[in-house]
Amino acid sequence: MEIKINHIAKMEGHAGFMASVLQGDVKSAKIEVQEGMRLIEGILIGRHYKDAPIIAQRICGICPVVHNLTCIKALEKAMDVKVTEETKKLRDVMELAQIIHSHALHLFFLSLADFLDMDNDIKLINTYPEETKKAIRVREFGMSIIKTIGGRVVHPISNEVGGFKKAPNEDELRGIIEKSGSALEDALALGEFFKKIKIPDFSRETEYVALSKKGTYAICDGDIISSKGLNIPVEKFESNFHELQKQNEVVKKVEHNGESYMVGAIARMNLNRDRLNPEAHKYLESLDLTFPDYNPFHNIFFQMVEVIHCIEQAKKIINELLHADLNEVVTKEYKVKEGVGVAAVEAPRGTLYYHIDIDAKGYVKNANIITPTAQFLANLEDDIKEYIPEVMNLDEKIRERKLRAFIRAYDPCISCAVH
Amino acid sequence: MENSKPKVAIVSLTSCEGCQFALLDLGERFLDFVSKIEMVDFRLLEDEEDDGGKIDIGIVEGTPITDANIETLKKLRERSKTLVVLGNCAAMGGIPEIKNYQEGKNTIKHVYKYIQGIDNPEVKEVDNFVKVDFIFRGCPINGEEFLKFMPDILAGKIPELPDQAVCVECKARGNRCLLLDNKPCFGPMIQGGCNAPCPTAGMMCQGCRGLRPTANVKATKKMLKAKMTDEEFENTSEIFGLRDDLEAKEKLEK
Repeated sequence: MEIKINHIAKMEGHAGFMASVLQGDVKSAKIEVQEGMRLIEGILIGRHYKDAPIIAQRICGICPVVHNLTCIKALEKAMDVKVTEETKKLRDVMELAQIIHSHALHLFFLSLADFLDMDNDIKLINTYPEETKKAIRVREFGMSIIKTIGGRVVHPISNEVGGFKKAPNEDELRGIIEKSGSALEDALALGEFFKKIKIPDFSRETEYVALSKKGTYAICDGDIISSKGLNIPVEKFESNFHELQKQNEVVKKVEHNGESYMVGAIARMNLNRDRLNPEAHKYLESLDLTFPDYNPFHNIFFQMVEVIHCIEQAKKIINELLHADLNEVVTKEYKVKEGVGVAAVEAPRGTLYYHIDIDAKGYVKNANIITPTAQFLANLEDDIKEYIPEVMNLDEKIRERKLRAFIRAYDPCISCAVH
Repeated sequence: MENSKPKVAIVSLTSCEGCQFALLDLGERFLDFVSKIEMVDFRLLEDEEDDGGKIDIGIVEGTPITDANIETLKKLRERSKTLVVLGNCAAMGGIPEIKNYQEGKNTIKHVYKYIQGIDNPEVKEVDNFVKVDFIFRGCPINGEEFLKFMPDILAGKIPELPDQAVCVECKARGNRCLLLDNKPCFGPMIQGGCNAPCPTAGMMCQGCRGLRPTANVKATKKMLKAKMTDEEFENTSEIFGLRDDLEAKEKLEK
């Protein structure tokens, strides 16, 4: 028999699902991507490097910050441009804020209704008005940081190679610190609320991959490590992880040693949880989970842990910045030169990788972008193949709902996957 | 007679979906808007299939790239009394249109090994396929502008944008004009209404909202010659699909 879902809503981008089952045996399970291709890597070729981050960030309307930052970092590597500590910190804050608002959206507005058996967020909002307000406030906290630093939430403006076009307003940064206390309270209260939802018991062993750095929960910087002992610098990413394109497919799925693997909050938690901030750590402990944790539904809990962590971390770094000279973030002169640069940053959904090659005049010769969803799509399909027998005998409608919930728990971003 | 709420659908084609997020990011103000309408299709928040019946307002973002995109767009037009377009991709081709200015369909060879079976058309704006009643401009749209004009649109009226350059709002925000520092900016020829976030953050206006009706392209181009090369001008105008509009307007000015 065939299991077909025409279109999965409440997810970034367009995709459906198709599986075929023969006498209880799952022959295939496939996410059917319905997104058109925009050829972002192709259109970057021949463009001036200054336009590259502006174009690349438009891959995604939820996570433009991380596309912009990763592209900028790759360009800086290519031209050997050094930036100040203040710039690094301000970028960190932006990326933390990116994770806060993206996770808050997914947790509350895209995924939660699945576990409360509701098919419409309007019902969810009407049933849980207080929680809705908290989720909106947490999201707004993250967004206000991006707006303050980047000038706009969707497709921020001020970041560029070398630093920022403009230093953020100090009073506005102070305002963020002031709001961080209530944002943390809201996040913790939402965390308690999420503990009440019933999560399916499913688990399948996989390999987890994320950035890692000594002494910190790695987000913008680090080496690439995995739960199977991999430990490589970012420069070796493409020689270890391979993009594969099949005929008629617009997403190039990625494999490690010929197998699927997982990135994102669940991977980071499995690998780096001992470096969480205190409140996030406390909340994680209270969930009483055992590691390694191979239940993909727990991705939702781990996103919640990260929201808490990122609020704490953003407050900490902004405080440091307020004691430093903020004008140090403003771009200083640098030389344009030929080179190849790579960079990786933890996006909300996992490690985002950029490889950019530029010529002596600063025009892009080549570009490769490997997004988190492209990396975990094969893992999702492998997981769901094992999950189908558990829901096979359910009523068709309920089965479809369970499968949608499974796919959404992964938080796929199809616009990113295709790009 | 029962006073029913206007039926609205928000649909996306191939895009980053950033314009829909610009709406969601309005938070409670967006939810207030939603409470005043009957949302029949908004797949960012709803799983329910809609019945495909007639609606009052169809809202669409993105670029029609796949055949399925084009079908979705045509269906939406057919069922909607008013069709509203969200953002630069739908209105002007957006960043995918860069490909038209480069190697066209051959751009795909830089990205994919197997190109058979992949929809790879020349990028065309939504109004090449269907009649468009109103455009919310920008990359992304300005959520405030959406809230400002939607009540009129819901009431069946098509709002008119004041013919005003980005410069008006830029000045009102107290920014020092980039042109005065001999830096390039497309502001004078571009339709305002965005509240000038780019020049406020120190970046030139790159024209994502398109030309304003009385824009003088020749004069602006001449003025910018001292601040950017012709190549830079052309490259910048390609980012948001402005180049074809500039060329068309310049012809008219002759």
